[in-house]
Amino acid sequence: MNIPRHVIRVISILALVLAATFPSVHAFDGPAAPEKEQELLIVLRSDAPNADKAIACKNLAIYGSGAAVEDLAKLLPNAELSSWARIALESIPGDEASEALRTATDSLEGKFLVGTINSIGVRRDATAVDSLTPRLQHADAEVASAAAVALGRIGNAAAADSLRKSLAAAPANIRTSIAEGCVLCAERFLSEGNSAEAVAIYDEVRAAEVPMQRIVEATRGAILARGQDGIPILVEQFQSPQKPLFQLALTTAREFPGSDVDNVLVTELIRATPDRGALIVQAMADRPDTVVLSAVLKAAEQGPKEVRLSAINALARVGDLSCLNSLLKIALDVDADLSQTAKLTLAEVPGEKIDTQIVELLRNAKGKIYPLLLQLVGQRRIDAVPDLLKAIDNSNKDVRSAALIALGETVRLEKLPVLISQVVSPKHAEDVPVAKQALKAASIRMPDREACATELASAIDRTKAVPTKISMLEILGAMGGTKALAAIGAAAKSNDPQLQDSSSRLLGEWMTEDAAPVLLDLAKIPTNPYNIRALRGYIRIARQFVLPEEQRAEMCQKAFDAASQTAEKKLVLDVLKRYPGLDTLKQAIKAMRVAELKDDATQATLVIAQKLDGKGVDVKALLAGAGLDKVKLEIVKAEYGSGATQKDVTDVLQKQVGDLPLITLVSASYNTSFGGDPLPGSAKQLKVQYRINGKSGESSFAEDALIILPMPK
Amino acid sequence: MSKKSTQVPRRQFLKTAVTAAGAAVMAPTIIPSSALGRDGAVAPSERIVIGGIGIGNRGTYDLGCFLEQKDVQFTAICDVKETRRLAVKKLADEKYGNEDCKMYGDFRELLDRSDIDAVLIATGPNWHATMAMNAARAGKDMYCEKPVTKNISQSLILAETMRRTGRVFQAGTQRRNLPHFAFACELARTGKLGALKKVFAHPAGMQAMMSGWLVPETEPDKEVVDWDMYLGPAAWRPFNAKLLDGFNFEKGGGLVGGGVLEWGSHCVDLCQWAVGDCLPPVEYDPPKDGQLVARYENGTELIFRETGWIPLGSCPVRFEGETGWVEAGDSGKLVLSSPELLAGRTVDEIGGYPATYHVRDFLDCVKTRSKPKGNADAACNAHIACHAANIALHLGRQVKYDNTTHQFVNDEQANRLRSEALREPWRV
Repeated sequence: MNIPRHVIRVISILALVLAATFPSVHAFDGPAAPEKEQELLIVLRSDAPNADKAIACKNLAIYGSGAAVEDLAKLLPNAELSSWARIALESIPGDEASEALRTATDSLEGKFLVGTINSIGVRRDATAVDSLTPRLQHADAEVASAAAVALGRIGNAAAADSLRKSLAAAPANIRTSIAEGCVLCAERFLSEGNSAEAVAIYDEVRAAEVPMQRIVEATRGAILARGQDGIPILVEQFQSPQKPLFQLALTTAREFPGSDVDNVLVTELIRATPDRGALIVQAMADRPDTVVLSAVLKAAEQGPKEVRLSAINALARVGDLSCLNSLLKIALDVDADLSQTAKLTLAEVPGEKIDTQIVELLRNAKGKIYPLLLQLVGQRRIDAVPDLLKAIDNSNKDVRSAALIALGETVRLEKLPVLISQVVSPKHAEDVPVAKQALKAASIRMPDREACATELASAIDRTKAVPTKISMLEILGAMGGTKALAAIGAAAKSNDPQLQDSSSRLLGEWMTEDAAPVLLDLAKIPTNPYNIRALRGYIRIARQFVLPEEQRAEMCQKAFDAASQTAEKKLVLDVLKRYPGLDTLKQAIKAMRVAELKDDATQATLVIAQKLDGKGVDVKALLAGAGLDKVKLEIVKAEYGSGATQKDVTDVLQKQVGDLPLITLVSASYNTSFGGDPLPGSAKQLKVQYRINGKSGESSFAEDALIILPMPK
Repeated sequence: MSKKSTQVPRRQFLKTAVTAAGAAVMAPTIIPSSALGRDGAVAPSERIVIGGIGIGNRGTYDLGCFLEQKDVQFTAICDVKETRRLAVKKLADEKYGNEDCKMYGDFRELLDRSDIDAVLIATGPNWHATMAMNAARAGKDMYCEKPVTKNISQSLILAETMRRTGRVFQAGTQRRNLPHFAFACELARTGKLGALKKVFAHPAGMQAMMSGWLVPETEPDKEVVDWDMYLGPAAWRPFNAKLLDGFNFEKGGGLVGGGVLEWGSHCVDLCQWAVGDCLPPVEYDPPKDGQLVARYENGTELIFRETGWIPLGSCPVRFEGETGWVEAGDSGKLVLSSPELLAGRTVDEIGGYPATYHVRDFLDCVKTRSKPKGNADAACNAHIACHAANIALHLGRQVKYDNTTHQFVNDEQANRLRSEALREPWRV
């Protein structure tokens, strides 16, 4: 039988996976870290809690040897520790562990027997075949199924023989596992070069009354194991009325070696219904080395629409120059779906020869194909600037627009002034929106951002039209960089209200921290109508950007000093709360002296202090000098839970009350602090009714949130 | 996460992606939507019928991405928690205006339904691989959240099982379908950075997480929370609510796992993509100065690094070649050693880590039977790299891994950490 090397390689890898993943029973047998092992065995032999014994088992998986097997095996019937013991027994190499597992199957029942059989399968214990075989008839279906799969994992001739003999007669609920075991055996035979035996097993499973998924697995094996002789079976699956088998054909065709199968795909494409044809075309394109391109192209050119769409799409991956004319023709089709799909494919289909041909066609293009070719120049980033420059003077608006967009995608810095002039002094006013779009696209992708910004800044200086200036300032804003920032900063300080407005907005959205001094400078100009916007932009940088702690604290201080209104000062307090540190704590304490900020600053102080305390930072001295008003706090009622399930935690909370409106629990976890989870798996809340200095208040907190009680009004 | 960003139409996304990186990066694997019946109403017979298993916070987000798709019919929810079953049923029933979403406490009953084509597996990491393999054997395709596996052997068996069963598997590594990450990986893979020297991943917490055996608490009624089913393949321990809601429960099997696996299954996966999805590194040093260095067969280094990142949001990666470098993160932005690397292109910034495109990729592959971007082979290699790094971390010494035999070289202890027995009656 002709077994392709490709298949043998894949299956050999599979065999290595199955063989090498697990410890061989014949592998290294010396005690690993004997001292460690002895310590762990002392735990197992002691009256230690099962929790400790469990972890000892887990460590014995690494450090245990044959000497640990007896103690571990004793735990196999233990409801709590059986699974832990098997972690070690499955892992420890050598005959002792294998024998212990085999012996245990004589006395274990139910799921413990299943688990032990599973471990025998994982260890591929060939000597267990005789004891596993009778269990294929076990009354407990789970035991019988486990035995079947374990035999499949062992995968030797004896195991295969047992499984094959049981396949037909087994009850239906076990037969599927026996079939699984058979397929595992077949895969191993194939990997070992015994394709005839593998084919025989695959065929037996295919003929058996087993669930469709087992048939799928066996059929895949039957096709691949036969090599080229498997093609007729593959064809049967393509023509099967059963969807899973057709899907199997699609999958298997993709992994089938050689080129004969590509011709099969062509035949099946012609024969198939349109919905299946559309899928076959995709499988053809997933074989780029051997695909019959002419067939895919033909399917793109004519036939049922859904097949055409799929084929046009597939050409994006496997098409070449031979497809260009057809694709261009389809791209101009009146059918919008076909046209759009072809345009996408034209933009993607690889090949420099296609680029060259598009430029050739462009030079003599007229009519509808002209803007299409221009569009492709842009999408494919073809260097054809002279042709584009010619096209922007065309009398047809569609041509000019396509050329401008293509220029935006391809122009280099030296020709950027051409695009700038289309924005600043256009020949056709209607082209301006497209020209702006193109200029923006070009500017953002320029390798030398600073040089590009210099060109734009210069153009801004030259033009008098404010809307044009604003357009180019927006482009600078999208670009970023030092020169762009300087140009926008200067515009923000100009006397023109529109320029002030747009520039301060752009600065407020700046994506790098170097805008901070520019914004602060602007914020400090009392006559600038956008000084508050600038200050908020400055605070935004302090809030959102990754900054050294000292720099952020310094920015907060400067913002606080520059703020003339309470709202901005409160924004600064929010930043302080977000980044707790000693510097931010000091600032929050200082802000408590400002009457209108006292409540917010107090809350910020408490939040920062609690977060720092949680990190082990000593904040007592700072808080002692903070002048925090001591309060008399009483917990009236506190409940923790969700929906109708609530736990009364009033007493627990009251015990933690101090002389601040802040409650620190014994643990960051509410569940721990309140003695357990009242409703596992649900989002819970803490609801607190309280009195501060005699005034009643009420507040709710999400699970594990900081408990800072608002001052009642 | 930006809600807006999840709403970019697929076609626009594809266009964007192509703009970003060229056809070679994001060549569409889908049939045009109109051919697949995605435009407008989709006949019930043409819809992909989906069931959800273990839909918590992340799963609810994933589910939202599925429900956005017109060719999806979400029809069943399985969860060990009654509250989650009810919540997801409500969500689905409100979406469809009916009462059809069926609830299950045992996922095997859901997998037994012949009308369900595919499942969304968003349980905790403890269950992912075992459940994925059960789903494959039941003939279901699956979108499975990450980390997908608990150890090296599960990673290998996962890839082998998906091949053998012919199922479509998509790991929840949604960054493989975001254009800026795709572009960065493409630069590395195609030599635009020169010969690739180093790829950096941000594991965000290189430490083992031991789920352990906590103080017993009163076990809820099985209908409220099925603790036995929650434990599933994890070794037995008494009920404790901290484990029930613990995001990291049994991640990596307990002794090893944690940050390397949690974030590595994303950022190491991207590094694997950058090196052409080759086999995982063969050498792993123990951590030193906040870095764990691994080496591929060709000498390229995979560096797990805690600090030193350009602020580009979570899950940053960096690829360094002889002539250039690129860094990308969840902000959607790229930083490059030279703008020339853009080669005249722009990269659309899709901030956050929207999974819609990844879900769409999966659904398209369910129809075409092609391989999605987060396929089992890719996931297998990335997870092996994470598990091997964790083993070096746990043992505190260098380990060498042989990709042919799938064993550590002359290292008995490391080899024993490649797999772990599952609690009865579960098997992969």
